[in-house]
Amino acid sequence: MSQSRTAVLTGSLAVVAALALSACGAAPDNASTTADGKNAATATSAADLGGMDALVKAAKKEGTLHAIALPRDWANYGALIDGFTKKYGIKIQVENPDGSSQDEINAVTSRKGQDRAPDVLDLGSSFALSAAQQGLLAPYKVASYADIPSGQKDTQARWYNDYGGYISIGCDAKRVKTCPTTFADLLKPQYKGQVALNGNPTKSGSAFGGVYAAALANGGSFDDIQPGLDFFAKLKKNGNYTPVESTPATVEKGETPISIDWDYLNAGYADEFKSKGVDWKVSVPSDGQFSQYYSQAINKDAPHPAAARLWQEYLYSTEGQNLWLGGYARPALMTSMEKAGTLDKTAAAKLPKVSGTPSFPTEAQQSKAKTVIAQGWAKAVSG
Amino acid sequence: MARLNPWRWVVLGLAALYFLVPLAASVVFTVDVPGQGVTFDAYSQIVSTDGFVSSLLLSLELALATIAIVLLLMVPAMVALRLGAPRLRPVVEVICQLPLVVPPIAFVAGISTVLKWGPEYLSRTPLFETFVAIQNPGFPFVLVMAYVVMALPFVHRSLDAGLRAIDVRTLVEAARSCGASWPQALVRTVLPNLRGALLNAAFLTLALVLGEFTVAQLLGFQPFAVWIYSVGGSQAQLSVAVSVLSLLVTWALLLALAGVGGRTRTASSRG
Amino acid sequence: MTATLTGVDVAPPVASAKRRRRAPGWLAVVPLLVFTAIAFGVPAVAMLDGAFSVKNQATGASSYSTENLTTSLHGAYLTALLGSVKLSAVSAGLGALLGLPLAQVVVTSRFRALREAILTASGVLANFGGVPLAFAFVATLGNAGVLTIHLGLKDTGWDLYSFWGLVIVYLYFLIPLMVLTITPALDGLRSQWREAAQNNGATAVQYWRHIALPVLLPSLLGGLVLLFGSAFAAYATAAAMVGSSVPLVTLQIADAISGNVLVGQENVALALSLDMVLVAGLVMAVYLPLQRRSARWLA
Repeated sequence: MSQSRTAVLTGSLAVVAALALSACGAAPDNASTTADGKNAATATSAADLGGMDALVKAAKKEGTLHAIALPRDWANYGALIDGFTKKYGIKIQVENPDGSSQDEINAVTSRKGQDRAPDVLDLGSSFALSAAQQGLLAPYKVASYADIPSGQKDTQARWYNDYGGYISIGCDAKRVKTCPTTFADLLKPQYKGQVALNGNPTKSGSAFGGVYAAALANGGSFDDIQPGLDFFAKLKKNGNYTPVESTPATVEKGETPISIDWDYLNAGYADEFKSKGVDWKVSVPSDGQFSQYYSQAINKDAPHPAAARLWQEYLYSTEGQNLWLGGYARPALMTSMEKAGTLDKTAAAKLPKVSGTPSFPTEAQQSKAKTVIAQGWAKAVSG
Repeated sequence: MARLNPWRWVVLGLAALYFLVPLAASVVFTVDVPGQGVTFDAYSQIVSTDGFVSSLLLSLELALATIAIVLLLMVPAMVALRLGAPRLRPVVEVICQLPLVVPPIAFVAGISTVLKWGPEYLSRTPLFETFVAIQNPGFPFVLVMAYVVMALPFVHRSLDAGLRAIDVRTLVEAARSCGASWPQALVRTVLPNLRGALLNAAFLTLALVLGEFTVAQLLGFQPFAVWIYSVGGSQAQLSVAVSVLSLLVTWALLLALAGVGGRTRTASSRG
Repeated sequence: MTATLTGVDVAPPVASAKRRRRAPGWLAVVPLLVFTAIAFGVPAVAMLDGAFSVKNQATGASSYSTENLTTSLHGAYLTALLGSVKLSAVSAGLGALLGLPLAQVVVTSRFRALREAILTASGVLANFGGVPLAFAFVATLGNAGVLTIHLGLKDTGWDLYSFWGLVIVYLYFLIPLMVLTITPALDGLRSQWREAAQNNGATAVQYWRHIALPVLLPSLLGGLVLLFGSAFAAYATAAAMVGSSVPLVTLQIADAISGNVLVGQENVALALSLDMVLVAGLVMAVYLPLQRRSARWLA
């Protein structure tokens, strides 16, 4: 008995040891170099690698791009993904399409050094700030970097705005008798259980924008987001607020008949669900106009650094920016493209109407707002 | 018992209402598209939907690995405890009840902290690659490790009940006196008598792994339950259809098991 | 020397097996212990370590303190903890209350098939938690659910995404769990006791009050406690239904693990986890002796 038992035990220990040892080794160095030995992971512009052609070649050699939290129907990302793959033959794998900005940051921190880490990020601006502060982003200047307005890019080129929109109120006219058009309207008792946000403001850029817009509509400012929290607390107390996070599915089924979300998303739903019995109306509330741009960034430890940088170049090319315009979003290069005449005028005409020019909260204001939300949101909506 | 009859029917009726109506409503939800009447698209699209087959296969692979490892660890241990080493019995019992005290969410909090040690402290040591290998999205061994731990209480209870029902000592002694070696005695006398308990344990583990969501989602993997959730954001009907189907399939499996194996049914819980 | 050698050669196989040194039985337990130490012990130690560590923002140095635990018992976290306890207590109580009659019906049924069907269904449903359950209820009673629309529930102010909505959903797996837990105990109630009581003129109510319930009490309490633990630990169902907008400690932990705006929140998540383990530990400490006591009575 002892012999066979010890044999079995030693055998299994050996197997375990073999398995463990075979998966052994220190972290590999990121070495995606071109023929001249230039490293794509540290390139801060296409010129660093020897020009666009060299970048394209290095990217094609990598062959794939890992993206995260990019739903196909979000600002026409589906067309952008297909366009990129068609142009360069590089496959894009999108994980967790419904993920929030915070989920993207977590994927980067928890998978550092692994092959399944995301290469590129599209973050709400306050999240881009904190990601840069945590040292997760690589500095890189796209070809049209100079054309990006100065208030919309990081001084070290670690992130810059790609597209943006205004917080709007989307509403299904088939399920709601009179659609609300302002924040004040939302408090009316007829909308019980119907008002939803696109996520949780402590994690999602669009929900964060929704609370900021509510703050502006209720006497707050970029410095003071507390009135926004109070508004949602009131909404919850009235019973109008539903904790369901609005997604295309909930809009389609009528689970979230009123959704506070970006205008480009709401406009997209209007098109997408016309045939499914949903009459989705979009309006930018006049009492709380809040505009925000999302920010594009590259993971410093990206497993495919050249492909990541090529994706950035594609997004900031005329083709990329116009595709975003086609998704009802306002591209960052809109003013310079209009001047140069490369803007898609028909798509631009379809954008929801807004008055005035947008202003954005500063880094400091956003960090402060984020802290206030982190500490107060749960209490506000747990009513 | 005639006095009980109306009371009995009321209870059964209410129970049937509460348990069957959500299922029926789910089915209606999946086939009724406003503006298009009744369609079975949600069901016909299941197999071709991106991710269904891969996530289901991943879950099944994880389940098989978990069942294999947990039985390999537990069966020899519990048989040995029955045959001797009485002082270790309470130790093993406590160890097998511990996972019940740590809710899955707390467990995954601990696991993710440990996994973060990989890139933070160990990137220059050989252990780093081990950390990466167990998180391979194609077959995340870290999930198997977690699931084995989570299955321990149920497997322990099942095997304990099974072993209590048979007289292991006599069986083994009889086998040994007929000239069998220890492994032979185990495999050819003890195991066949434990068939019901083994099947029960295997099934409970299978159900656990197939439905497990918390640990998989928070560690960033996409087995079956996580896929259902992620598809729910864009295709509500499809995900509800899959949910209903998975429930019915599990039910069918369990009924088959009740017919084939023993009738040692132990309670397990998952939220 | 030769003598010993011949001795070994000549002895019959059985005797030599007895003479060979037996490897201790506990050797078979070692793999289990090693595996559990790695897969469970290490995360548990990490959790304890993290729960008591505080990272100084400025210097980045870690020190041990109970600050995380205190934070985890204040403000929004306390709300979440109390919310979880309230939800678990209410749903466990209701689950036990509703599960007992159902179990009684099953046990006293004449039809074998009915008993089999319900017990297997309970086994499945007790495991049917999480995402599929949440989606099924959203499809039924959600804002655009089948019942909500056809029965006009919106007008009555019904909201699935509230405390009572969650209770109704939780009962779906708690009642079957109660049925599974209490059926062995009900099986153990001997019919002779019932007959003896009837012979002595007791009514059904008196029988239950003086005989059945006292015997069942340990099992009932054990079931109640098990249901509480199960509801308390539930995460997937709530997450799939309401996202992270309802105050439950499991949702808070998930949020904090996923990182939060404030750096260092992960350690508070571990402190919250420790709080949960303590609550669950208390639950187990009550359940196990109760279960043993009831097993003795009904053996």
